Parts: sequence; C-alpha cells; structure tokens
Amino acid sequence: MASDGGAYSYSLTVFSPSGKLVQIEHALAAVAGGTTSLGIKASNGIVIATEKKTSSILIDDSMLDKVCVICPNIGIVYSGMGPDFRVLVAKARKSAQAYWKIYGEYPPTRVLTHEIATVMQQATHSGGVRPYGVSLLVAGWDVNRGPSLYQVDPSGSYWAWKASAIGKNMVNAKTFLEKRYNDDISLEDAIHTALLTLKEGFEGQMTEKTIEIGVVTVPTPAEIDAERMAGPNDRPKPTFRKLSEEEVRDYLAL
Amino acid sequence: MECSFALTGKGYVLIAADTTAARSIVKMKIDEDKIKSLGPHLLMAYSGEPGDTTQFAEYIERNIRLYQIRNLYPLRPPSAASWIRRALADSLRSRKPYSVNLLLGGYDTSNHTPSLYWIDYLGTQAEVPFACHGYGSYFALSLLDRYHDPEANLEEGLAVLRRCIDEVSKRLVVSPGKYRVKVVDKDGIREIEF
Amino acid sequence: MEYNGGSVIAMVGKGCVAIGSDLRLGNQALTVATNFEKVFPVTDRIYIGMSGLATDVATLREQFRFRVNMYTIKEEREIEPESFAHLVSSTLYERRFGPYFIEPVMAGLWKTQAGEYKPYIAAADLIGCLNFAKDFVVAGTASEKLFGVAEGLWEPDLEPEDLFETISQTLLNGVDRDAYSGWGAVIHVILPDKVITRTLKGRMD
Repeated sequence: MASDGGAYSYSLTVFSPSGKLVQIEHALAAVAGGTTSLGIKASNGIVIATEKKTSSILIDDSMLDKVCVICPNIGIVYSGMGPDFRVLVAKARKSAQAYWKIYGEYPPTRVLTHEIATVMQQATHSGGVRPYGVSLLVAGWDVNRGPSLYQVDPSGSYWAWKASAIGKNMVNAKTFLEKRYNDDISLEDAIHTALLTLKEGFEGQMTEKTIEIGVVTVPTPAEIDAERMAGPNDRPKPTFRKLSEEEVRDYLAL
Repeated sequence: MECSFALTGKGYVLIAADTTAARSIVKMKIDEDKIKSLGPHLLMAYSGEPGDTTQFAEYIERNIRLYQIRNLYPLRPPSAASWIRRALADSLRSRKPYSVNLLLGGYDTSNHTPSLYWIDYLGTQAEVPFACHGYGSYFALSLLDRYHDPEANLEEGLAVLRRCIDEVSKRLVVSPGKYRVKVVDKDGIREIEF
Repeated sequence: MEYNGGSVIAMVGKGCVAIGSDLRLGNQALTVATNFEKVFPVTDRIYIGMSGLATDVATLREQFRFRVNMYTIKEEREIEPESFAHLVSSTLYERRFGPYFIEPVMAGLWKTQAGEYKPYIAAADLIGCLNFAKDFVVAGTASEKLFGVAEGLWEPDLEPEDLFETISQTLLNGVDRDAYSGWGAVIHVILPDKVITRTLKGRMD
C-alpha cells in the first residue's frame, strides 16, 4: 500500500476522505521531478525556455524537442513526462487546425489553453486512465489579448502568469523570477533573465545543445491590419518561433 | 380536397377546417375534426398526408401538454410555433419526414394579442394576419386581401370567413362540403356552429 | 431557390455597409406572407441575410445565433466579420452532401488597429464557397437583375445616406422585374455607432 494515500492511491476516480485525488498529487510529483522550464512575459513579447537533459551522451539530442510550435501564434514547453507531452502536443495541434478550419484563423492563446486544459481535466475523472504527468507553459499572441502566458497543471487548472517556472527547482526559480521581474522588462532582457534563472539550478554545462528557447513577438499595428486584409492564399506571419541553436549560442555568450 | 382557413380579428383568431377524410377519390368520413386544442388558448388546424397528420398532431399535442404539466403554465403562441416549426424542420431532413401543413392560432393572455402562424411541412413559418392551406388558398387569399380587417369583431370576422368558404364551394371543383370553425380569444377556445 | 422566392443584397460605403432584403414569402407563384424579413443581426456591427428555402433560412438563423453565442461566451469577445464569414462557410460545408438551400450574404464593419471602421461584405453559395467583394454582393431569385442595377448605380465611397439611396433603388428596381421577389423591402445601414433600419414600400403587387 502506498505510504500516503492508502487504499485511495489507485483508483483515480475515488476521493480520499480528506477530499484529495491522490493520483493528481502523484502527477504533480512527476512534474516536480522533471527538468526546469520557465516563461517570462515581457513588455514586447514572451520568452519560454527549458533545460534539455539527456540520460546519455550517446543520444542524438538534435532530435529532442521540448519547446513546440502548436500553430503560428502559439508555442508550449513542458516539465514532466516527455511521452505525455507528445500526446498533448498532437492534440493541441489538431485542435488549432480544427479551429482554423471553422474560423479561418488560429485560436487565441486562451482558447487553445482552455482546450488543452480540458483534455487534461478529462483524464482526472475518466475511468481507466491516469492524469497527464506534465505541467505546461503556453505562450502565444492574439489580436484580442496580445501576448499571454499560461500554465496548465495535471489537474487541468490553468492560470495566466507574468512569469512562472515549473519542474525541478521551480520554487527557487520562482523566487528568483520574483526578484528579477518588473512590468516593463524588454524581450531581450527577459531572455537573459530566463537564462540566468535556468543557470541557478543547472547541472552541467549550459550550451545551445542543452537549452531550448521559444519567443513570442508582438506585430506592429500595420502588420496586424495587413494580416486581416490578406487574401486566402497568404500564409499568416508567425508570432511564435523557436530560437535556432546559433541564436541561443549568441545569447549564452553575452 | 382539404382546405383550411384562419384569420385574426380584434382579440380573437378564427380557424376553419373542412371535415372530410378522403382516400383517393372516395370520401371515407365527413365529420372529422382537424382542429386540435393544444392548450387553453392555442388552436392548431392540420392537413396533409393521412396518418402523418394525426400522428404528428398528437405528438405535438402531447408535448405541448407535457410542457404545461412540467412548468405549470402553457407555452405562449410564438414559442409554441417555433417549437412546432423546429419539429417539422428536423423531420424534413429525417429518413421519413412528416408531410403536415399547419395553421396555428393562439391568444397570448400575457399581452392580450391574438396571433396566427402559417407553417408548412417543410418547416416554413410565417406570422400572418390571415392564412390558408390547400386549394382553397387560391380563392380565399385574394378575398382576404380585400375584406380582412384586423380590427373586425367576431361577427364581421365570421362574415369574411363565410365569403371565403362560399367562394371555394362555388368555384373549386373538388370543394369540401362541411367545415368546423373554432375561435380562440381571451375566454379560451370555443367551437362555432357554422 | 424558386420555391419560396426572395432576394438579398449588401453594399459597401465609406466607413459603412448596407444590407437589405425583400419581404415576400411565397409558395411557388402564390404569395403567403408579405412581412418575411431575410436579414438578421449577428452582432451590433454584423448582419446576415439569407435567400432561398424559407425553412432553412429560419433553421440557419437559429444555428448561427447558437454558434455565435457560444463563440462570444467561449472567447469572451464579439465575433469579427471575417471569422463570422468563415463560420458561415464551414457551417454550410458541414452539409456538403445534403445542403441547406440558402445563399447567405453578410455585411459588417471591422475595427483597424488605428480605431477606424472598415466595411466588410461577403456572400456564399449553398455549400459555403465564399465570395469576398469590394463593392456589392447579391443573392436570391432576383440576383441577375440586382447585379445589373447595382453595376449601374453603385460607386465607391458612398456616404451613409447616399448608400441607403443606392441600395434601396437597386433592390426595389431589381425585384420589380422578378415575380418571386418584392412586396416591399427592409434596409439596414450599419455605421460604427448605430444601425439605421428602414422598411420600404415597393410595387405592392
């Protein structure tokens, strides 16, 4: 029998007498064991970053993707279980395309976050499944709310953040961010702050191979209007992109 | 052939429907009541495919009644009309659509207005001052265009209805012989000897 | 399309759009009602008009109202004309192999980043193929006639009152040559801060 939850540790859909769903708490423990990820909202964009750890130097790390593009305006990063994340990315991408098929534009960040959170919540009260062992940071831009950063937890709850950290060292990282954050930080400064925060609890060498960064940039009013008047054959200009290894190297060098 | 007429007046709606039940060229019955009371202030005349008519009318009748039992008050005429229209529109795109045409006359006791709805088997709905279904409409509509008065009292309304029925009897080759006439007003539903 | 008759039109003006329909509801050649509006509000700045089979006009009006309400709640914002046009298109294409027999016409205003309002009109066929026009769009049994009159009367940058006159004359004269449309008309001129709605009498025969 599990040490804390007793008989209530197994069946996901049964509350413990204290009102807890212990499987969700175990999922949070899985997240807390995962590598650190963080996101910072700047005045002119958002940065999300994570540490990429491999268990062996023999693994080809160019294949690993922890920061993922969902649609041209939204990207996500995770801490926790890689395979669970992959499934959620696939679902999120599909949902973004389904939205595009109906409305001819990609979903606002909040709507996509809500969609992912619903999928994760469903796993907490369906039979025969376990919760997703990941926490996510969703960063995106849309006309309505501008740049926004959300965190989604295994329970399916989500919040908007100015800056947040998940995974191993999240408590320290958050304290660090609280000290460094101010409302009019620029995107460039935010990227450096992100790297500094990761450095705090970093094991080993921080290189372009062990760091992944994604950024949201805010288009100009003229670009926004041009986008709306674009014809059906014009592709949207991405507002979320991953930084290339070269770009990451340049930021690390500074 | 089947004919039904309806017209609004000052504080009432008059509905008339013929009483023949025909199969092919044979009259099977001449005292069929094709106007149902759906509530204390709601009347529905139905015509169309035999079988479908009674089945559908009963389905509507029971559901409108169910609403009244559940909510302790009846559905008001505009809402009833919308609900019935939706039932027909859904049926139209089902495997076996009902082919039933309706005239829905009601008196809204909450704002004291009589209202009349023309609904066909496709689920087309229109709120109108007067309406007809069947071959009678080709004669009656032009008469109603000329003689209908929304401010007319019941007697005057009946006179206009008389004109319509007489014209149909006179000019339509396959005219029905007898009609049933019902009226709905603030006092409820009554049948009128015609 | 000829079963119930009816026609709809939308036109672009300067910082405004107009949309209107006739009022006839027919059963083939027989006129059943002369108060059947085919244009409905979607938001304060978007209207949709539908010509075609009247039962589907009513059904789709309810369908669009449902979907726009759900959108407004989920997204916590009002739908924009472009998104609404795509919503109409995808709703119709859902029934690609058993379509609703309507041709929608949409008119609305959208706000630029600078805060000014730009006109937007679009039309679609019965399975949702969108047609974005810069001048005017028409649909219904009088569409050929409306195209002709509109081609002659419309000019760019019409002020609201001039636009009203242009769309009214186009619609009334167009439907006069169509037996399936007519019995007066209703016109909505959509402005950034209000909508002007007027009911017109035509040849009432």
